[in-house]
Amino acid sequence: MNRRDFLKATGGTIVAVGSGAYAFRFMTQTNTRFRHAGLPEGQTQKLYGMVIDLTKCEPGCTACMDACRRENNIAEPGAEENHERWDIHWIRKVRMESGVGEVHREREIPLLCNHCDNPPCAQVCPVQATYKRHDGIVIVDQHRCIGCRYCMIACPYNARYFNFKDHHADWTNPDHPKRSHGVAEACNLCAHRLDVGQKPACVEACEQIGCGAIMVGDLNNPTEGELHNPEDLVSRFIAENPVQRIRDDLGTEPKVYYYGL
Amino acid sequence: MDIQFRAIEGNSLGYKATMATFALFAITGVIATFYIIHSGLWVTGMYMRVPWGLQIVLAVFYIGLSAGSLVISGLYGVFGKLEYKPFARLAVYVAMMFLIAGLLSIITDQGRIDRVFVQPFVFLNPQSMFSINPFLYTGHIAICVVYLWALFYEKKKLTTFIATLAFGWAFCVHSGTGMIFGFGARMLYESPLLPASFVAAAMASGCAFMIITIVTLFKLANRPLDDGLIQWLGRFLAITIIVVIYFLFAENAYRVYVVELRSAGIYFLFGGWHSLFFWIGLMLIGMFLPLFILFNRRTGKQIKWIIIASAMVVFGVLCERYVIVLPGLTHPPELFPGWEITQSPLIEGIASYQVSFLEFLQALGVFGIIGFMFGWGLKYLKLLPTEARMLH
Repeated sequence: MNRRDFLKATGGTIVAVGSGAYAFRFMTQTNTRFRHAGLPEGQTQKLYGMVIDLTKCEPGCTACMDACRRENNIAEPGAEENHERWDIHWIRKVRMESGVGEVHREREIPLLCNHCDNPPCAQVCPVQATYKRHDGIVIVDQHRCIGCRYCMIACPYNARYFNFKDHHADWTNPDHPKRSHGVAEACNLCAHRLDVGQKPACVEACEQIGCGAIMVGDLNNPTEGELHNPEDLVSRFIAENPVQRIRDDLGTEPKVYYYGL
Repeated sequence: MDIQFRAIEGNSLGYKATMATFALFAITGVIATFYIIHSGLWVTGMYMRVPWGLQIVLAVFYIGLSAGSLVISGLYGVFGKLEYKPFARLAVYVAMMFLIAGLLSIITDQGRIDRVFVQPFVFLNPQSMFSINPFLYTGHIAICVVYLWALFYEKKKLTTFIATLAFGWAFCVHSGTGMIFGFGARMLYESPLLPASFVAAAMASGCAFMIITIVTLFKLANRPLDDGLIQWLGRFLAITIIVVIYFLFAENAYRVYVVELRSAGIYFLFGGWHSLFFWIGLMLIGMFLPLFILFNRRTGKQIKWIIIASAMVVFGVLCERYVIVLPGLTHPPELFPGWEITQSPLIEGIASYQVSFLEFLQALGVFGIIGFMFGWGLKYLKLLPTEARMLH
């Protein structure tokens, strides 16, 4: 190979790799660059987020879990042996402890899909069945899911579930679809309710029992379009209180914020 | 060097019995798979905390085996070692069979098998390793077909070109498979070394498997085989074992050294049954004993011992694939560092996994299918040479 050929080959390779990388970058955009595209001047795209105020969350209460099951046709926990292996809980409450003696602490905390801004589940989905909507909700298209379960491997929060079984008996909400066995699912922040201006089932249930520990709203807009009372504005709450996100260090940018953890 | 290839006659009782056994395995596997599809995956050993099991372990094992097999054909095709030309066709065919086995294992593991043949190609996600790999695998099978054609028709230039392409492609395939895990979010998966160590273990197991296959087939077909060829492959195998050990050492030393991964690293090395797979299955049986056998002056030259060492390496690498996939899943992701989850409706702590009988049958089915195809190939394609000798 002479010098001319070498330079040609090198130049060609650089152009090919560069354009390939740019195409890859373009196809895999996950930042907010296009988020406001197509909206009227001055209006910003909604970005849904959730705040869970643990100081208001009642220990032992399962109102949010129950409401979520009813709304989204999630089967009741099974009665058979080892049922916890296949039970689905879009939102689950766990009790955790740390320290001993005087520094011993106990918490009960609801865990659900964090609707990450950089969702690893969507990144790994081979068929783009899991994707992030423009309003930040991470959602699964069960008609497209092939059931590879890579999303469950990738989710650092153990918040993805797989339909190992069919749940024929449970169809509490006929307006909402059921899922066949063989597909993955997770909390969708009750997108179907948010789309028509209603609050997610867990938020509503928590309010109805008088706790009001869960809030959902627009993280982009502190004043308008909230689904809550003005004093509960999600973005304002986040700005004014020391809130925490689970495993903030992973870079997934979760959009569920906890207060009082 | 003029080499004659002749298909086996395939009239013996042994051949027919073997083919019938493979067919039986295949049918059993198909029935088991239909049952699993119909009932849902809860009838397997997998569950919410351990969503991948035996099929994925075997998929990576098979795909690894295909790489090593291809290396044997590359000895002639890429590096021009003429004395290995007699094995080139067989090696490419074996590589193809294992790729098919890997793909079948992955396909039968999906929740919705009916969607597997369309969705991944229509809704490609370039960010997902699982999306890129089907292209790498099917591409590799296509390359193997052309490679085999070039070898059958003695197209020298095309052989060199396609052998080099296949060689490079194999590296992509195996790095890609390693990346599925290496870039996963589990503490025991995160490792940039995994793709490289995956390739090394693939070379070792594939080379070992080819040694067993070549010696067995030549013996069964009563065709002369020069011991020197197998002895050289034995030494090559020994070198690949050393590379695998080095990667395993580096990977585990990193895990135990870095504070945030230490508990997971210790769990991996000493935390349960999988640790026995690692220490006894992989390190002792799969690596150090074969190394001792192959480097020993007496045993390293005896074909019988080289075969034993090769079988041990294949078993060891199977254990390695198991400890790549399973401990990473049974070890829980750390949601709240410093806290312990004491009560949950799910299994949150260390989980366990047991292969179910149905999964075993499914795996047997995949093995039966490729075994049958391999046997068919030996009878109807000119894969096996009449003899293989050293060049002097």
